[in-house]
Amino acid sequence: MSLEAEYRSVRHGAALSRMDHVGLLRLVGEDSIEAVDAVCSGDLWVRDGRMLQTLILDEQGQPVADVYVCPDDDACFLMVEGMTTEDFSARLGRHANPELEIELEDLRHEHELLSLHGPYAWEVLSKWLTPDVIGLPYLSFYRFDRGICFRAGKTGEYGYDLVIRSEDATDARRELLELVNSFGGSEVSLETLDLCALENGFFSVRHGSIEGLTPLELQLQWRISTRKRFPGIEAIEERRARGIRRRLTHFVAREGVNAGDALHGPDARVGEVMTAVFSPGVGGLIGTALLDISVAHPGIDQFFAPNRDSATRIQTVSSPLLVNRSLFVDPHRHTYSTREDATYPPLWQGSLP
Amino acid sequence: MSYAPHITGWGVASALGVGRERLRSALLQGETGIAPVRRFETSPFKAHVGAMVAGYELDDRDPTALCHEFGSLALRDALEHARLDLGCLRSRRAALTLGATLFGDESTESVARDLAKKFSIDGPAITVCTACTSSTQAIGFGADLIREGLADLVLAGGIDVLTPKLFAGFDALGVLSERPCTPFGLQMGTTLGEGAGFLVIERGGLRDAVTYAVLRGYGLSGDAFHETSPDPRGRGVAAAIQGALDDAGASKAEIGYFNAHGTGTMANDTAEWCAVQSVFGSELGGALPISSSKGHLGHAQSAAGVLEMIATLECMGEGLAPTTAGFQGPRPGGPPRPVGTKKPRPLAYDLALSSNSAFGGNNCALVFGSAEPTSEDEERRPVFLSAAAALSNSVSSVEELALIYESESAPTDGELEIDLSSELPRVDLRGIDRASELLTAVTSRALGDAGVRLRGTVRERTGLIAGLLRGSTDSLERFHGSVDRRGLGAPDTTAFAQVLPSAAQGACAKALNIRGPQSTITIGEGSGLMAAVLSARMLARRRDSDQIVAAAVDVRADDVEGGALFDAACALVLCTTPTAVEVAGVGLAGPDQLDEAIAQAQSSWGSNERPELVIEPPKPFAGLPATSSCFALAHALGSLRRGSARTALVASKGTTASLAIILVSTEVNHDN
Amino acid sequence: MTTDLSEYVASRVAILDRVRQILRDTMKLKIEPEAIDPDAPLFGTGLGMDSVDAVELVVQLDAVFGLELANSPLASTKIRTVNTIVDAIMEVRGES
Repeated sequence: MSLEAEYRSVRHGAALSRMDHVGLLRLVGEDSIEAVDAVCSGDLWVRDGRMLQTLILDEQGQPVADVYVCPDDDACFLMVEGMTTEDFSARLGRHANPELEIELEDLRHEHELLSLHGPYAWEVLSKWLTPDVIGLPYLSFYRFDRGICFRAGKTGEYGYDLVIRSEDATDARRELLELVNSFGGSEVSLETLDLCALENGFFSVRHGSIEGLTPLELQLQWRISTRKRFPGIEAIEERRARGIRRRLTHFVAREGVNAGDALHGPDARVGEVMTAVFSPGVGGLIGTALLDISVAHPGIDQFFAPNRDSATRIQTVSSPLLVNRSLFVDPHRHTYSTREDATYPPLWQGSLP
Repeated sequence: MSYAPHITGWGVASALGVGRERLRSALLQGETGIAPVRRFETSPFKAHVGAMVAGYELDDRDPTALCHEFGSLALRDALEHARLDLGCLRSRRAALTLGATLFGDESTESVARDLAKKFSIDGPAITVCTACTSSTQAIGFGADLIREGLADLVLAGGIDVLTPKLFAGFDALGVLSERPCTPFGLQMGTTLGEGAGFLVIERGGLRDAVTYAVLRGYGLSGDAFHETSPDPRGRGVAAAIQGALDDAGASKAEIGYFNAHGTGTMANDTAEWCAVQSVFGSELGGALPISSSKGHLGHAQSAAGVLEMIATLECMGEGLAPTTAGFQGPRPGGPPRPVGTKKPRPLAYDLALSSNSAFGGNNCALVFGSAEPTSEDEERRPVFLSAAAALSNSVSSVEELALIYESESAPTDGELEIDLSSELPRVDLRGIDRASELLTAVTSRALGDAGVRLRGTVRERTGLIAGLLRGSTDSLERFHGSVDRRGLGAPDTTAFAQVLPSAAQGACAKALNIRGPQSTITIGEGSGLMAAVLSARMLARRRDSDQIVAAAVDVRADDVEGGALFDAACALVLCTTPTAVEVAGVGLAGPDQLDEAIAQAQSSWGSNERPELVIEPPKPFAGLPATSSCFALAHALGSLRRGSARTALVASKGTTASLAIILVSTEVNHDN
Repeated sequence: MTTDLSEYVASRVAILDRVRQILRDTMKLKIEPEAIDPDAPLFGTGLGMDSVDAVELVVQLDAVFGLELANSPLASTKIRTVNTIVDAIMEVRGES
């Protein structure tokens, strides 16, 4: 499947993906949330049956893992990207109160994670599970006979993560793929999902070159607590006191911009490119740049990446870049089969420089 | 001894007419009472229709006056139907349970107080102020008074008036339909209404009355989900419906018709349908005739429950299922075939279900009909007190409360500071108002002290009854202030959701995840003790909870007559697991019948002993209408635990009821 | 920085600061306005605003900036982040 075709699945229909890169953990015990609280950067204002996105930072304040914390009575599910289960366990050992009675289960031994994404992902799931999955609020989860369904997603479309017992996973994947195909969709790769995440401004711990960057620069302050002491807080406080000097900003460009390129403004260097990748939705390059705080704003088209003999302009933009189809799909009123009956605004409403 | 609650009459003042005859004929004709609003300007709003009481469409008198008038009309109508003379209630051990929710300066119990006086109802007058579930709950609590032998006759119902501010709040939230609402139908949004309704509920056999139906049971629950939106999966509604079925001793197959809350909003109708399917299953649920009366009557708020139940009773008596006015086709996510014919559909049934849901997540369902219960009411369980928490200036524990009692020193001045976010680090407390903060603090502390961890099914089996007089002062100021400053077209919607007296109970339940039976009630002065009395009776008789927190909160309201002088809150955990202190006797009587209340408590204790201690509200805390009586109970618990005495009486002459609770150290009972 | 760039940035920053302040007050956040990331999602995740908060925010944005969102079908796309709000305000002012 080409990237364009996979992209279409995610943005216009429904797509399935295997999420082998995500760690699945379950922390069991009355104190499980307290233990997680000691390791993660955010305030865990999250109730049973709900999900909260937070980070794990290193001592320099740099994000090393992207975590969903999902309390479930006297236990807690964790979906962890960017860190192995062993590392997570080590961290718990280092930061959580040793007297807490908790047990860490690596669900990967006996489970797989399959995800559905797309404006009609809910419809696929309502056929595979039961129609009342439509009522599942964003960032909530519930148990069904073969596993657990989490409603999250990092593409800007409806997204569901299904934790399924290994013995049921092959059948589940086949059934879901059949359904997804009937919605004009396909299985999609991590590359496609990462592209979609970037288009919608979702942070990825895998987008390289966040060396030396903290949530302050990465626009992730909403994921760090203002009340508790967490690993990495000293570095954050120090940087805050010094003042943020650079900020991650999204941009679009026609072509010829690469990760690592320096960016210049009319008078001086203004920053550098962190990521740059082609987006079928935009019809050009999209990416993130680390810009000097004085100019780290959307709507500026005066910066360029000097590239051999040509200068390539970038246009800074707000994220999310797209007007996602999912914003206009109401599970109570719309279906995939009647999608042509409605008119939707174009996904991308900006212009390239 | 348990008495079945017989419904011997009812009366209404509604958008379809004043008087039940008018209501019945309009319902049978499939008429609607929804029309363009003429009482006030609707140009600031998106919606322009409402269901005003017939004949009062242009009447823009003070809402309190209208409230009183609607209530009087409905009461008179009910008494006439039940063939009771006006003025005869004095000799009949009559009580009033009223659903009414005010958010002005008036103290919420004032409507009940005035009506009780006017109609010579000498017994207790209890107001339930949980907005859209108010009258539904009032009916349930009223039936309990009969069951418990605390009254021989109860007038149970509710009243509400559609005011510009109420309209403004709902309109700003975007939940009003521009055209008349179509519950379960194609248009999204609801239409506000108003009115009053009362049932006459009596102990059977005391006089020559016709029993039209029996109130078989009720169920209560909380969503613990959101301030204004219902749990989309309808779990709270399902719990209330199941609770009503259990209380009624009825199986789901016996229910012949369901009068749903059916407001017509996206959120409610789909959640409610989920609940129906979850309780009844897809087959029974699919076959169950369902309709909503809001197409006829609008959403009558605090009077919705009683008016909708009366609409059902009227139709039931004619062998008909009420229809859903304005229905033209089902909406996706809702029931595919609700009763939506132009006129009520012929249907023979002898047991009906009715349900309502409210802001703050309260849900209440009723089961009623001509089918008598086939099983005996369950035995009353003993009830115990397991913990108490008290909070005010100079008081942050029951021990400190004891010091106040000893020294009688006045509380210190200044703002009471609490750091709730440290006590509840896992809860998002942003935007919490003062009443919610105080109530949540004492409830959390009391439950913590009682060793109750709100996990798993404990959440569904833990209840919360809050006693207070008005909404939180800060929210009231913000809401009314926003209307003054920005006009009716742009009220502060966050504040609107918080002005209800029941908002604190909803916020506390959400913060702590309390999903069991819950409500907010008032009797004016003494509301805290009333919450305890109600909780004790519920725990004794019902089987849907293991512990109920009875709490009270006062927020300083300087410029309101009778308003609290400073902030305070108190919570007690009542439970069915034995502890060192038992709630051995409970009494409830009219505001001028304190002796009667005490005698009742004494008699339900069943001992000839006089209680060793008589605990009154602490003198320095006299300016706390809801909380001071609760402080007294907390102090009584503390005293008995410390061994200062073995028995204690806490009594209160509240504004609209008198109460008495006798506590006994359990070692005493073992000796007996 | 060229003059028009510095003017643009200055306009933007002034609006950005004010919008952050409004958000902080509407949601009663106990943080400094600068701690609100300009691209942080307002709803669902991010700041975790809900539909009731949204109503009040829309009223404030109208009162302070004359930004009318209440009847706009794309209102939900204009208030996804602080930056999208600033974009909408600057568009209304013809400054984008």
